[in-house]
Amino acid sequence: MAHGIMDGTDGWGTGGCLSRLSDSGREVLLGITGKDFTIIAASKAAVRGITILKAEDDKTRALNQHTLMAYSGEAGDTVQFAEYIQANVALYGMRTNLTQELSPPAVANFVRNQLATSLRSRNAKHVNLLIGGFDPVKKTPHLYWMDYLAAKAEVPYAAHGYAAYYCLSILDKHHHPDIDLEKGKELLKMCIGELRHRMPIEFKGMRVKVVSAEGITELEEF
Amino acid sequence: MSRRYDSRTTIFSPEGRLYQVEYALEAISHAGTALGILAKDGIVLAAEKKVTSKLLEQDTSAEKLYILNDNMICAVAGMTADANILINYARRAAQNYLYTYNEDIPCEQLVKRLCDLKQGYTQHGGLRPFGVSFIYAGYDSHRQFQLYQSNPSGNYGGWKATSVGANNASAQALLKQDYKEDCTLQEACATAVKILSKTMDSTTLTSEKIEFATVGKTESGEIYHHLWTADEITALLKEHKLGKEEDPEQDS
Amino acid sequence: MSSPFSINGGACVAMVGKDCVAIGCDLRLGNQALTISNTFPKIFNYGQTYLGLTGLATDVLTVSDLFRYKVNMYRLREERDIEPETMANLVSSSLYEKRFGPYFVSPVIAGLNSRTGKPFICGFDSIGCIDFAKDFIVSGTASDQLFGTCESFWEPDLGPEELFETISQSLLNSVDRDALSGWGAEVYVITKDGVTKRLLKGRQD
Repeated sequence: MAHGIMDGTDGWGTGGCLSRLSDSGREVLLGITGKDFTIIAASKAAVRGITILKAEDDKTRALNQHTLMAYSGEAGDTVQFAEYIQANVALYGMRTNLTQELSPPAVANFVRNQLATSLRSRNAKHVNLLIGGFDPVKKTPHLYWMDYLAAKAEVPYAAHGYAAYYCLSILDKHHHPDIDLEKGKELLKMCIGELRHRMPIEFKGMRVKVVSAEGITELEEF
Repeated sequence: MSRRYDSRTTIFSPEGRLYQVEYALEAISHAGTALGILAKDGIVLAAEKKVTSKLLEQDTSAEKLYILNDNMICAVAGMTADANILINYARRAAQNYLYTYNEDIPCEQLVKRLCDLKQGYTQHGGLRPFGVSFIYAGYDSHRQFQLYQSNPSGNYGGWKATSVGANNASAQALLKQDYKEDCTLQEACATAVKILSKTMDSTTLTSEKIEFATVGKTESGEIYHHLWTADEITALLKEHKLGKEEDPEQDS
Repeated sequence: MSSPFSINGGACVAMVGKDCVAIGCDLRLGNQALTISNTFPKIFNYGQTYLGLTGLATDVLTVSDLFRYKVNMYRLREERDIEPETMANLVSSSLYEKRFGPYFVSPVIAGLNSRTGKPFICGFDSIGCIDFAKDFIVSGTASDQLFGTCESFWEPDLGPEELFETISQSLLNSVDRDALSGWGAEVYVITKDGVTKRLLKGRQD
């Protein structure tokens, strides 16, 4: 048997499955929509077991001009899946001569289909996602929450991992569908403040990106 | 001369022609006329149904006009049996797109998918091309109302008004003459029925001899497509005094 | 690991009335005890036939999209809407196709036969065994509670308005007693003259 470190005797006492789950739980993914934007934030720490391997990680990929995807989950699966999606959405754009890009809802549905297919295959990808976008035609912000089972929901704000237990209650209280970007940033700062204050996990700060009519921009102030 | 080249679809003749494709086009030019007109608020498709026998069941479903999905319909000229295969393929392609993206397929993409299939039969050996031309009418949010035409070679193009089938040259000439930019759907229907009455062999039009369909927008902004019933066609013919004369005895 | 049927939570119920039927569901999508969304409907309509799906959320989405595909193709081929009885057999055979790797859903169907006007409801297990019923069908994480409330509230030959009141009370009182369901509800009442859809606010906790 070639089980090695996955046989539950690796000192973590949980077996491969649970230890990788707790890894992804410690990664922070946050999403907030407003009147004319969607904020996507992801922790900058790349974690493996008890070690932080990198403090400037970017857990997001731009899928097209107006859609951004943030991911957490098993190392290897995440980047592989995200770049596979990125390439396929780019291919769609090329096939239509870049005249018609997929709308954020269409991208989200495509991603869900791919993940749902993967789930029932022999080597299911363990990836949790937030897909943020802005529909430039209908002028509407979009945010989709999706877990590794490919359960998808469109939501006004979302979080993955342990961060959800700290942030969702703050957002429940303070979020409103037509907040402006300043208020959005303020809400995000409240969430990050609470994480720093209460969560006993070092996540090396957040990488924050905004999707709006102008496209995707990174906010350096965080 | 052509004997050596025309039995194979995949081989060019010395003059650079694909005979099988041209024969397919020839077959279509004997089929009933079909035409489409793009209006500012919708599209009308009209087709001539060749009534071959009085004994033929008339109340069955349409034979020249088909629904492809929620926002696209098409008119067929050529071999109906071949068309059935392609229409089923197009419907599956449209539903596959809807399943993957949860949005209706953009019109041009669906036309392209069908034409890719048609093109395959002009290049891969052993089989004949599909003997059908289509006129497509549809709507999508990117380009609003659209009218396309495709033929057995797999070529397609967007049109403001076009026709296929028997007498399509004269129908095309009439369309060129009568087409008005920014016409309404109602005006387009009138033009369609007038042109059809001129290009068809029979002297009087009846609802048994033609099929009509429209794509449009409801007052609430929803896209609809509608295959006309016999009564609606009769009413249109009556309105434009193209139907057969009503018996005055029966009227009173 | 908990059962795939109770990871996301959710409840659905269908009831027969006099020349009418009703179907209702809750709106919660959860991840174990954590609520993710309170706008996650579990009833989908295919022409005049309504399908409720509870269980694993990913399969609720997959199965509802799959039936949209199949029913759209049916409608184009047959040039008419699918009847509820036909839909029941389509659901059954489609689920059994995945006998050894099932979709983790418990479907419920409600509708009126367009020719006879006869009310029709039925339920299924996850591999497609049909459960025909003359009174009501329940499914989801609140199914035990729904059995109780429906048994006590339901009676034969209810009119559309009485039926709405009965199904709504049964649903709301059941999901309030289940931690994994609730957060609002949706109820459809189907009569030969049309369908009314009502949103019930419900307890948001």
